[in-house]
Amino acid sequence: MNFKIMSVVFKKEIKDMFRDKKTIILGILIPLLIFPVMYGFMGKSMEDSQEKVQKNLKIAIKDEGNSSFNEYIKSQENITIIKSQDLKKDVQDGKIYAGIEIPKDFDDSIKNDKQVELKIVYDDASQNSSMAMDIIKSMADTYSKGVVKERLIKMGVDESILTPMVIKEDIVAKEKTNVGRMILSMMLPLFLIIYSISSPMAAATDLGAGEKERGTLEPLLTTKASRMNLLFGKFFAITLMGLIGTIASITGLLISFKTSPSLFGGDASVVFPAKTLIIIAALTIFVTMIFGALELSVSIYARSFKEAQTYLSPLSIVGMAAAFSTYMIDVKDISPVYLNIPIVNISVVLKEIINGIYNPMHIILTFVWSGVYITISILFARYMFSKEEVIFRT
Amino acid sequence: MIEIKNLSKEFKNIKAVDDISFKVSNGEIVGLLGENGAGKTTTLRMIATMLKPTGGTAAINGFDLVKEPDMVRSQIGILFGGEVGLYDRLTARENIKYFADLNNMDDKEADKNIKELTELLGMEEFIDRRVGKFSRGMKQKVAIARSIVHKPSVMLFDEPTIGLDVTSSVIVQDFILSCKKNNRAIIFSSHSMQEVEKLCDRIVIIHKGKIIEDSTIEDLKEKYSGNLEEVFVRLVGGKDEL
Ligand SMILES: Nc1ncnc2c1ncn2[C@@H]1O[C@H](COP(=O)(O)OP(=O)(O)O)[C@@H](O)[C@H]1O
Ligand SMILES: [Mg+2]
Repeated sequence: MNFKIMSVVFKKEIKDMFRDKKTIILGILIPLLIFPVMYGFMGKSMEDSQEKVQKNLKIAIKDEGNSSFNEYIKSQENITIIKSQDLKKDVQDGKIYAGIEIPKDFDDSIKNDKQVELKIVYDDASQNSSMAMDIIKSMADTYSKGVVKERLIKMGVDESILTPMVIKEDIVAKEKTNVGRMILSMMLPLFLIIYSISSPMAAATDLGAGEKERGTLEPLLTTKASRMNLLFGKFFAITLMGLIGTIASITGLLISFKTSPSLFGGDASVVFPAKTLIIIAALTIFVTMIFGALELSVSIYARSFKEAQTYLSPLSIVGMAAAFSTYMIDVKDISPVYLNIPIVNISVVLKEIINGIYNPMHIILTFVWSGVYITISILFARYMFSKEEVIFRT
Repeated sequence: MIEIKNLSKEFKNIKAVDDISFKVSNGEIVGLLGENGAGKTTTLRMIATMLKPTGGTAAINGFDLVKEPDMVRSQIGILFGGEVGLYDRLTARENIKYFADLNNMDDKEADKNIKELTELLGMEEFIDRRVGKFSRGMKQKVAIARSIVHKPSVMLFDEPTIGLDVTSSVIVQDFILSCKKNNRAIIFSSHSMQEVEKLCDRIVIIHKGKIIEDSTIEDLKEKYSGNLEEVFVRLVGGKDEL
């Protein structure tokens, strides 16, 4: 082991990759921006349409009997009543969001304790119309409750007869649970692992197969530097590039959590304690190292970029499948088997700690296993790098 | 000084190099002449420790290539034909410096050698430009500088002029002659008797992994009267009939 040579190789590879605009754009800028931009647009358009409908509910009312419900609706805020001859057509044309048909004998039926049918015309393909429908429904609901109350009073019955049971929620959790955290605990491990598998790939392809394809590998192997030092220099460069890519992607994801919270079930502001962050960082580095070394092995075996990419896709699919398999898992009930399956164990521990569960046995076991996986993948890369049949594969 | 002793290399089903032995003294250019597939590249790759021999060994300045591969590599420089194999996004200087660093040179010495080579090869104008857009001739000069920046005492050339235009070929040939002047031991592989005849002191003809002739140009001319190109064809062809 000659650390000077390793660092020479490492520095050269990093410099080389950072001079490649493609690497910077595909590996850093796009991962960083894709989620904020995508969710930014989605969130914005959703909020826009919500606001538009709520501020100005354009509806038409067809009411022959001039009912009290009609009066009730008109008395609500932000309602614009538009005259319409043909409710269906006007809804379809977007002239109104929804139309209400009130039967002629509405008030009489209510008075006589009968049930009446209220017809609402809306277009379920239109977001605005659906939203208007929801608003009208809740108005009808409020109105109905008023009617029920009157009827009960008329009969001399207490209102509470309708609700024999009241449920009082008492949630057991260390911290206040929020939907944002739940979504985060499902998504973050998955994304972390997927990014850690995919981010080192470009560098691994370039530093193995790319070197072969450009004809630089052979001159490189004629220098005094030993194969192991070349390998480790490359391995660390790949790991660093992978981590930079993962950090860019996760940063992008977290930015979109913050800027478009409505898309992630509301408040997503979760603050992790330092130990959680440290374990998350360590596990992310482990996965990046495991796959960095495996990808370099495959890449050095391949004769060209194209071949490397072909061989790398099944490898990444297997890794991602392992991460996916824990997507819906319940962190309160982890079978010990999971803790001994590569990647699955890392995913499980990530889920646990994001949920605030620190099981030292699980964490230690996963760290030990990770060490084993990293060693095996590096040994495999070493084996590939020292085989004549691999280096001079034609 | 190169001493090849019963060197062999067997791939899965063929003997690419079959029990060859020859010596190259300092200041001597030996031409390794053979057809395509004769075993030239395999021989040079073994000397450079990129391939492990399946039999025999070689000593480079006394270092055994099986036992001390790292030391052997520090003694030699190699120039390959075909693709020059440079890093396009690095400058000419960075390409050369990378190989100096990999050969464990200190910065001061490396910078001094790069400066010398820049002047020698006339690379002043483009030494600090990125290699990507260089012409073939410019790249060839960078590759030459890279192969010798660590001042090796043994130089291996594997069909270095293949695919080069006349100007670039002359650059390479002049470089080989300058190596000889600097008292290096040189192996120059080629499939062209003409080129070998022009540059080399001695010729080793390799055919199907075996050495079928090892003599000086003069002896060869004396032994077989006539055109050497024809001699080569006759030797190689004659063996085929056996
Ligand atoms: N890595 C390898 N695996 C298997 N066979 C090889 C390998 N490299 C070369 N050979 C075979 O060895 C023989 C000699 O090849 P080579 O040394 O490249 O010849 P030359 O350089 O003289 O053209 C050829 O038949 C070639 O096919
Ligand atoms: Mg060859």
